Amino acid sequence: MSLTFKDKLESDNFLITAEISPPKGTDLSEALADAELIRDQVDALNVTDNQRAVMRMSPLAVSRALLDAGHEIIMQLTCRDRNRLALQSELLGAYAMGIRNICVMTGDYTTKGDHPGARPVYDMDSVQLLDIVRRMREGYDLAGNVIDNPPVFTVGAVTNTDPSKLMQMMKLRKKAKTGLDFIQTQAVYNTEQFQTFMDRTEDIEVPIIAGLIPLKSAKMARFMNQNVPGINVPEEIIQRIENAERPVDEGLAICAETARELRKLCRGIHIMPIGKHDKTTRILEMAGIRKNI
Amino acid sequence: MIISSAKPFEEVLELLKDEDDIFIIGCSACAAKLHVGGEPEVLNMRQRLEEAGKNVVGWCIPSAACSVASFDSLVEKNPAIKDAKTVLVMACGSGVSIVSQIVELAVYPSNNTESLGGRSQGEIIPELCAMCGDCKVYYFGGICPKGQCPKQLLNGPCGGSIEGKCEVDPEKDCVWELIYTRLKKIGRLDLLEKVWTCEEITG
Repeated sequence: MSLTFKDKLESDNFLITAEISPPKGTDLSEALADAELIRDQVDALNVTDNQRAVMRMSPLAVSRALLDAGHEIIMQLTCRDRNRLALQSELLGAYAMGIRNICVMTGDYTTKGDHPGARPVYDMDSVQLLDIVRRMREGYDLAGNVIDNPPVFTVGAVTNTDPSKLMQMMKLRKKAKTGLDFIQTQAVYNTEQFQTFMDRTEDIEVPIIAGLIPLKSAKMARFMNQNVPGINVPEEIIQRIENAERPVDEGLAICAETARELRKLCRGIHIMPIGKHDKTTRILEMAGIRKNI
Repeated sequence: MIISSAKPFEEVLELLKDEDDIFIIGCSACAAKLHVGGEPEVLNMRQRLEEAGKNVVGWCIPSAACSVASFDSLVEKNPAIKDAKTVLVMACGSGVSIVSQIVELAVYPSNNTESLGGRSQGEIIPELCAMCGDCKVYYFGGICPKGQCPKQLLNGPCGGSIEGKCEVDPEKDCVWELIYTRLKKIGRLDLLEKVWTCEEITG
């Protein structure tokens, strides 16, 4: 019998997770095809929840479809669109549908997305949502009512990795204290800075899975530096891509090098390409961390 | 103070298009301090309405529109209100609501009410307090994240700030940067360690 994501977290395995985006529409074939590209290459697939506040299909529906196709799933759940009633009912529904891993986060603000007039909720924050997950595991809802067949999730949270952001580091500690099985991070480009982040979080005994976004051009790197919170692509990496004959290939090489470095520093990597996973297997091969070899 | 701003005059005129014999009620409290309901603004409103062909029967400025005791107390200030068919209130939404309760006429607002804020050193500062009914501002060095963080986060910042600026409004500092600076200054960074559980969230 194959190991679950939880089993693997408890092992010494180097973990590989990857992000799958729900469709803008009702056709699941693209999401399923994207997951198929990396079948058996990754330990679990994160299904995003209206990422960047752009409306897409419910992550619960997509997660179930991917489960049916035989994938291990981490369903993401944000605090932006649901109050405490909806968060709890979503958790019950997810568990009943077979989802065993979730990753919680605050969620990008509504004005950043495609429905800027939507009323943001944020009834709970990510620390409190972790608290809800813990209580439900113990058999109670937030109001103290007993829950039948309590959902026992393996639960993760996210973080940026700039160790100089003291308030974000403080919040990560609160998340760990509330109850966490894994941490997935924003994309890492500066492994030196990431090393410092790992040193400063040594007291947090939770497996850390470092994010990776392959760069496609110097322009993309500069854009992300200015517009994507928590991302810091060092100038030397931007120069490498700028001077490369094939910027996309150079981006993949950089991503593979970073992955190889990260293997020494943390428990896994989380690949979040812009677009599809058509290059993900190649990155893993180049990094020498392909599964099943 | 309640932060409010004046509606464009054209909007006020549109509101009053089928109305006449207008009585204007200002407010000596917040609206006066913000220059959207004090005497100069009330007199200016009267003049502009008259220029637009409206009859303004009179005006008064109670000490606070939100605590006018009765219709008689308005009559005491200016009996002309008895001749009015319409009332225009130059105050916040509370002022408009209280006046609506005691005056048996159509009551219109001239302002938009925005938040509970303040004014200090000549600067108007909006959204200082979310009026959650359970004040914990002390834990945050007097800077309330419920009022000032768009996501109302109590356990620390989201991951959305860039260069210390708010994800939602890059012109503004992330309130958590301000809270950190303030608590450091008063030697109480320990207050940040507190985990705010679900029970402690109300409102």
